[in-house]
Amino acid sequence: MAADISDRVREIAEARDLPESEVFERALEHGLEQLWEDLVLARYLDGELDREEAVSRVGRTKVERAERECEAVEADVDWGQDA
Amino acid sequence: MTTVAVSDAGPLIHLAEIGSLELLDAFDTLLVPEVVHDEVEVGGLPDGLSEVADKVVAADGGDTGVGGELDAGERAAISVARGRELVLLTDDLAAREVASEAGIDVHGSIGVIALGYSRGLLDRDEAASRMRALQRETSLFVTEAVVERGIRLLDER
Repeated sequence: MAADISDRVREIAEARDLPESEVFERALEHGLEQLWEDLVLARYLDGELDREEAVSRVGRTKVERAERECEAVEADVDWGQDA
Repeated sequence: MTTVAVSDAGPLIHLAEIGSLELLDAFDTLLVPEVVHDEVEVGGLPDGLSEVADKVVAADGGDTGVGGELDAGERAAISVARGRELVLLTDDLAAREVASEAGIDVHGSIGVIALGYSRGLLDRDEAASRMRALQRETSLFVTEAVVERGIRLLDER
């Protein structure tokens, strides 16, 4: 895995003409953004955060997508356990 | 209870990606429309699919005009499911919504894992692990927080 990461960083840096340090910086920003969105959506789905606050933090599209997914997953688990 | 299902390409691909096609053994019969079989074949038929081949049969997926925004495989699977007492398997939210509006009982890969758990094919930890793998290791797009909620529901119900 470490070798994969090094190889990918090197390839991205070369392809984008960036220093490897900037590739790492961007990767951290992207990863942190994803983790933040997951945390906000988890808190919203768990009822710890109201909808408008969740929308203000991650955007309406992501909240609405999570709602549609959640409805599907809840229906799937109910069905799977009752079928 | 006899359970018959028809699947589009999504669950076949996603379950294969986490080595879980054997969970389709929970169904007595699995129908796969020709067009879906062709879609999956393009990427190389998964090894596990041959192991459940006795339950994979060609099904006519004549287009009924539903879900014009859906791909051919999704439309074919919906066409097969319409008016029959069977379950439609799809991981596409739009296809799922079109099918529900048509009165079809529709579920996805998460549901197949939950079914495997309830049928004793998986224990709770393995079911949870495979749900997480669907989110992390496959081409299925699903929000991590939603998968974690699904795992908690397994514990609650």
